[in-house]
Amino acid sequence: MPMDWTPPPRGTGGQQQPDLGKVVSDIRSKLPSFKKAKGLWIVVLIVLALIAGSSAYYTVGPEETGVVLRFGQYVRESGPGLHFKLPLGIETATTVKTGRVFKEEFGFRGTQPGIRSRFTEKGYSDESLMLTGDLNVIDVKWIVQFKVREPRKWLFAVRDGVAAIRDLSEATMRSIVGNRYGDEVLTLARVEIAAQAQVDLQKLLDSYDAGVQVVTVKLQDVNPPKPVQPAFNEVNEARQQKERMINEAQEAYNREIPKALGNAKRVVTEAEGYMAERVNRAAGEALRFDQVLTAYRKAKEVTKRRFYLETMQKVLKNAGKVYVVDDKVKGLLPFMDLTKGRGPAKEVQK
Amino acid sequence: MKSLRAIVPLVIIIIILASSSFFTVKEGEQALITQFGKPVGGPFSEAGLYFKIPFIQDVHLFEKRLLKWDGSPNQIPTRDKKYIWVDTTARWRITNPLRFLQTVATERGALSRLDDIIDSVVRDLVSSNLLIELVRSADWDPARGREAMEEFNPPAPEKLQAVVKKDDGEPTIVQQGRQLITRRMLAAAAKVTPQYGIELVDVEIKRINYVESVQKRVYERMISERKRIASQYRSEGEGEKQTILGTMQKELARIRSEAYEKAQKILGNADAKATDIYGKAYGQDPEFYSLFKTLESLSISPGTDKAELILSTDGEYFKYLKQAK
Repeated sequence: MPMDWTPPPRGTGGQQQPDLGKVVSDIRSKLPSFKKAKGLWIVVLIVLALIAGSSAYYTVGPEETGVVLRFGQYVRESGPGLHFKLPLGIETATTVKTGRVFKEEFGFRGTQPGIRSRFTEKGYSDESLMLTGDLNVIDVKWIVQFKVREPRKWLFAVRDGVAAIRDLSEATMRSIVGNRYGDEVLTLARVEIAAQAQVDLQKLLDSYDAGVQVVTVKLQDVNPPKPVQPAFNEVNEARQQKERMINEAQEAYNREIPKALGNAKRVVTEAEGYMAERVNRAAGEALRFDQVLTAYRKAKEVTKRRFYLETMQKVLKNAGKVYVVDDKVKGLLPFMDLTKGRGPAKEVQK
Repeated sequence: MKSLRAIVPLVIIIIILASSSFFTVKEGEQALITQFGKPVGGPFSEAGLYFKIPFIQDVHLFEKRLLKWDGSPNQIPTRDKKYIWVDTTARWRITNPLRFLQTVATERGALSRLDDIIDSVVRDLVSSNLLIELVRSADWDPARGREAMEEFNPPAPEKLQAVVKKDDGEPTIVQQGRQLITRRMLAAAAKVTPQYGIELVDVEIKRINYVESVQKRVYERMISERKRIASQYRSEGEGEKQTILGTMQKELARIRSEAYEKAQKILGNADAKATDIYGKAYGQDPEFYSLFKTLESLSISPGTDKAELILSTDGEYFKYLKQAK
């Protein structure tokens, strides 16, 4: 029950006196009846006691802190539970949700918190579009979670603490993002930025004596502005393409080189085989010749003749037709039928 | 009972008098007392119960808390002629209620006075500074974040860098930075406000953004920058592919020729060895070798097909037959 004191309207002080007299005379005229009903006094007293009693306590919820003012002056704080205070507006109590963590969203608003939260982004791009250090534009969405650390300051040092948090949060986030390259903000520096924003925001709020503790600052979506996004995607695609090309080339390399190495080995091994064969054959033939030569040397003439005859015999056995031509036979060719098929019979012409 | 009759009106009068002669100042408030419009008491800046003369003196309550001022966004050109929207916010409090009451009277009056003061200061400082000074901070370090830059935004090839100099004339050193500029805004504006009984506690640039036409051009620049990077990636990919394929061809040629060389060496070696062996063996009796080889080749030559032979009777083979005739 707040104690509102409204100043009396100017110049009405004099007019109130006659009214007061009337009231007094009214009450006086009624007093005799009061006298008759003594019980009425008791009723009035009970009502007064009830009013006093009902304003003599207050409850503080489990996540709250109660702040008690006596004649507007801060006197104490109290934890959850039932508490007593002086009644009839002498002490007033206010509760502040100190246990709860509040959330402020920037660049979007969660419309339906739940397992699958829904967000609206439309109309909040003013909050999220900002300039980076390389004078590009970037779209940063973030949240700030905070708690009331000192209820007294929260209530009495800053009017509209939430507005202060929002303004300062926007200012610090822009200041930090403005001090970095856009590419950095998009990728590596997210965590760093959030941490720095939290520190800076806390410092500023402390300088306001706001009694607020910044629990966390978290970057949500960080994107290039909508019209630029396709171009950013193109860069990503190009990077993938680059990787793909390199992979393809490496694949070809990996496919061809081992094959060529195998082929090379085969060529060398084949050559080695040839060498073995050639040398072995040579050695064998040499050995044979050696042996034949040794034998030949023992009976030269006869062996020579034998060789000749044996060979002739072999040749004649294998031959299809044998023409034996004497010196005296002239003009053999006219009689020979060169086109005739080969007969099995042997013709010996004399 | 008689005494009770007298007490009741007395109590009522006392209550009325008391209620108009006491007033409370809440935490976060301060008060002034005026008597027929003339300030006579206070300021009461501490919360508590205070006394005044009833009906004659009036109490004026003022906020002691930090109050918000929110400027409307202004379109201001910077020193480098870039048109931007600047949205500032400020925090202030009433430090001298009497002067506040005399000069601006209400919060609304104060806000409109602050509009004039802060807007002009912001305009002055924005238009006398470069855009980067407003965006970056004093500790801007162009080298920081290079790593990220290079990974995601590879620098132009060195040969090009010499030719294409960035033409935005953007200095790399930040002389003041955003914080110092806002501090100067605060200092300039805070000098004026005490005459209104106001202390200006903070001025912050809440938002800076390009005006629409500039923004469009910035987007176009960003797009073309991305396209450049994309095509660089693509050609890098193509280049690396060709490099790898070239290396592959080189490797293949090397492997094949090395194998050929080795094989030829081995073949030559083999032939040499064989020749050596043959030479040694046949060299013992070349005459006999000729005979041996001739006859050997004769016995092999007809092969499987029946050949036709023409023999002369002059040959050795028919010597005896001839003699017999």
